[in-house]
Amino acid sequence: MNYTELSADLVKKCLANGADAAEVYLAVDRELSIQVQDGELETIQEASSQGVGFRVFVKGRMGFSHCNDLSAGSLESTLKQAISFARLTTPDEHNVLAADPATSQVEGLYDPAIADVAMEKKIDMAMELEELAMQDSRVTRSSGSGYGEGETEIYLANSNGLQKHYRSSACFLGVSVVAEKGEQKNTGGEYCSRRFFSDLKSPGEIAAEASRKAWELLDPQMVKTQRAAVIFHSDVGRSLLGGVISALNGERVLQGASFLKDSLEKSFASSLLTIIDDGTYPKGMASRPFDGEGTPTARRVLVERGMLRSFLYNCSVAHRAGTESTGNASRRGFTSLPGIGVYNLFVEPGTYSPEEMIAATPRGLLLKGVTGYGIDPVSGNFSGGATGFWIENGKIAFPVKGLTIAGTAYDILNAIDMSGNDVDLMQSFACPSLRVREMQIGGK
Amino acid sequence: MRQQKWIVRDMPRRKFLEMGLKGGIAVSAMPALLSRLTSCQTGSLPPGRLGMDKEILGRVIAVALEQGGDFAEVYLEDRISRQIVMEESRFKSGLFGISQGGGVRVIAGNSTGYAYTDEITEEKLIHAARVASYVARNGGSIQPVPLEQAGRESFITVKQPLQEIADEKRIEMMERANQAALDYDPRIKMVLVDYNDEIRGRVIANSEGLYLRDELPQMFFIVLALSEDNGRRHLSRERLGMHMGFEMFEETPPEEVAERAAREAIAMLDAKEAPAGIMDVVMQNGWGGVLVHEAVGHPLEADNIAKKVGAFTGKLGQKVASDVFTMVDDGTLPNMRGTTNFDDEGTQMQRNVLIENGVLQGYMTDILSARQLNMKRTGNGRRESFRYYPIPRMTNTFIEKGKDDPADILASTRKGIYVQSLSGGSVNPVTGVFNFTCREAYLIENGKKTQPIRGATLIGTCMDVISNIDAVGNDLDFGPGICGKGQSAEVSAGQPTVRIRGINVGGSRS
Repeated sequence: MNYTELSADLVKKCLANGADAAEVYLAVDRELSIQVQDGELETIQEASSQGVGFRVFVKGRMGFSHCNDLSAGSLESTLKQAISFARLTTPDEHNVLAADPATSQVEGLYDPAIADVAMEKKIDMAMELEELAMQDSRVTRSSGSGYGEGETEIYLANSNGLQKHYRSSACFLGVSVVAEKGEQKNTGGEYCSRRFFSDLKSPGEIAAEASRKAWELLDPQMVKTQRAAVIFHSDVGRSLLGGVISALNGERVLQGASFLKDSLEKSFASSLLTIIDDGTYPKGMASRPFDGEGTPTARRVLVERGMLRSFLYNCSVAHRAGTESTGNASRRGFTSLPGIGVYNLFVEPGTYSPEEMIAATPRGLLLKGVTGYGIDPVSGNFSGGATGFWIENGKIAFPVKGLTIAGTAYDILNAIDMSGNDVDLMQSFACPSLRVREMQIGGK
Repeated sequence: MRQQKWIVRDMPRRKFLEMGLKGGIAVSAMPALLSRLTSCQTGSLPPGRLGMDKEILGRVIAVALEQGGDFAEVYLEDRISRQIVMEESRFKSGLFGISQGGGVRVIAGNSTGYAYTDEITEEKLIHAARVASYVARNGGSIQPVPLEQAGRESFITVKQPLQEIADEKRIEMMERANQAALDYDPRIKMVLVDYNDEIRGRVIANSEGLYLRDELPQMFFIVLALSEDNGRRHLSRERLGMHMGFEMFEETPPEEVAERAAREAIAMLDAKEAPAGIMDVVMQNGWGGVLVHEAVGHPLEADNIAKKVGAFTGKLGQKVASDVFTMVDDGTLPNMRGTTNFDDEGTQMQRNVLIENGVLQGYMTDILSARQLNMKRTGNGRRESFRYYPIPRMTNTFIEKGKDDPADILASTRKGIYVQSLSGGSVNPVTGVFNFTCREAYLIENGKKTQPIRGATLIGTCMDVISNIDAVGNDLDFGPGICGKGQSAEVSAGQPTVRIRGINVGGSRS
């Protein structure tokens, strides 16, 4: 089926059935997932699917419908549902569709070779990964390894004449193992996801990391409740900064539900903090040529040396705020309306190696794992469970588990006083290790 | 449980995360990720495809077992969903969804093959059967039993079918909730009302000769209220969710849901920093049961037990909790959010006592884990949709009521934290380490609730928490939620007021 023609044709059908403006978002997916447990193939799942979402405006009112049956009769009755459902909603002058005909050039979104790799090879990779992760004698059990892949094609058309399409692929290889010692248990997991099959890390590299994470926290000790420095390891950058990104959502800001709502062009964090959102990064796991409503993606500085430079917008929220879309309309597949989201995030690295950061810390926590929601985007509060290593006199002293850390966003973000050079640019949230001078740590 | 609706709505779910989560591997490999868990007008249903006759399903099952295998199943689904969102006193969007499809599963030994299709035709299902049979290429073989309609007891009654409700009625409930929240206090600045209903039709047929079909209505109504005063803000949440018809709003009027949300938003404006360190916690009855859902329920799901990695592996019949602690998963509680007549594998729902007076009595199984562990099926094989194969999941999970007067539990606690409601949390099912974020909490000083405190995290391990529960109230209550385990499931969680001695509380005050 020619989906480009189909999507354009469906826009016309929406208009013919009474919509004043219409957008058609059509997605075609293929997925394969393989799981291995204890050297046996545990599950294998394979499927293709497709679906279409209709967003229509009728006299300023918005209606949305979706279906996964692409027969002509079903498509017609579904688009009529969107039009009839629109009568329920309130007219809104900010209900606008994307109009920018440009598309960003993004290299390396699709690897045609993934599908050609034999199924047996993919199963073998997962088997090998599990076996390698179990080699260390401290690692006693496997929670399973897996390989996954997917391909997605997006077709977007709207009544402003936009007609866009892209294709992307992704593959995934990961494992989780358990280290035991007496009654103690600790899990360690590691995965790698890439756009291209040949870019996946080797099973040996992934296995070594998973295995190390499982055993390195054995024999933890408890520390007293105190205030001390906390080094957020690069793996937990998202836990620290995810709430900041959520608070930049332009709609949250307009609704007053963001702790950063009054901070635009103001300094709210340490001058060591610079955050860039990039939808165009070559081979980036979150890259794409246009956003969830067709606006071209871009590279954008969100935070510059602690100064808030930009909120995030889709078309309707930008219209309401009196500005332009930043190309940050996100979409969770064809069943959802455009929300607001980000792409590949890069936190500017510093000059210190992680070892230098530890050596410069007389007493504190090297944080390797955080549980909880991170910074609350509404109130700016942070509280979470913490695991990692205790630092005494500039050296790793022992592993710690079962601690808590807490503070307010302003206090934590302004207390960032060292940033590392250890950033992995292939992470979709690429963050170096960051040291917070002092935080409340809860223990015994 | 995935609780933070805002985050789920606003942040893009990247494809690799989806794949990882879908693969189930993320549940164990990346515990941190876990800490992140609609009606139709009469005549609008497309021609039902679920009427596919038993002979076709029988042929699909036969093809699925052609290569070998011990078990094969076909699952067909048809779902009509509706969501209306009201924000800032405006009806912002109306979503209408139609989804249908079928999945074929083959089990051979410990291996599962699964394939699905959006098109419910014999040709597509046969193709899915061949793909799913990949796992059975070296397996033994069984002869499928001819399909026969099975009977199941019903726990869901519907008085006002969603198909017969005019959209104007839905809108009216939302307006009433919005107004009630705004009227509660001028410091309520914004209200979000999220109305969802759906009807899910299911057909299940398997190689044991089972053939079942039914239609399950679902309603989920969420009110968020944002308060603001002097630069302080709190976003509260209250939810109502049942498997029933529109009469849900006669039992609980929308105003009641809205006022509960507004009350929390105002009460928490005065919240101060929480203390840090280990302290006693009293948890109010209701949705707080999500703590044991996570901390104890997930580790009692039999998939990790069968893999011998679960925290409760090998502890059946042993004393694992304090004498006053009894925990139950019951999928038969009338019309509740975790209730169905049979699970997504066709097993009759039942009441399963998991821990009785501190002694571990059983795990929650699906067909595969029951086979692996040589245990009975408990009715916990559930799936989000035809795009997923079933795995062991909870239904309505709760701490059974005890004998203590809730007022006495508080009065006899000299110092600690009173948790009125939790946002949600997560657990590592292998180590049993859990975390929770408090939504509404207070200090306890000399046996009295005093100062409200800001969103503190509670952490601990499942074994510690159930050993340290020393008081259980007589006021059992429930709350509705969404549980995420690579795929989402409607559940409810419940408990009476309980006291847990010595939990680590993550506050920012020393």
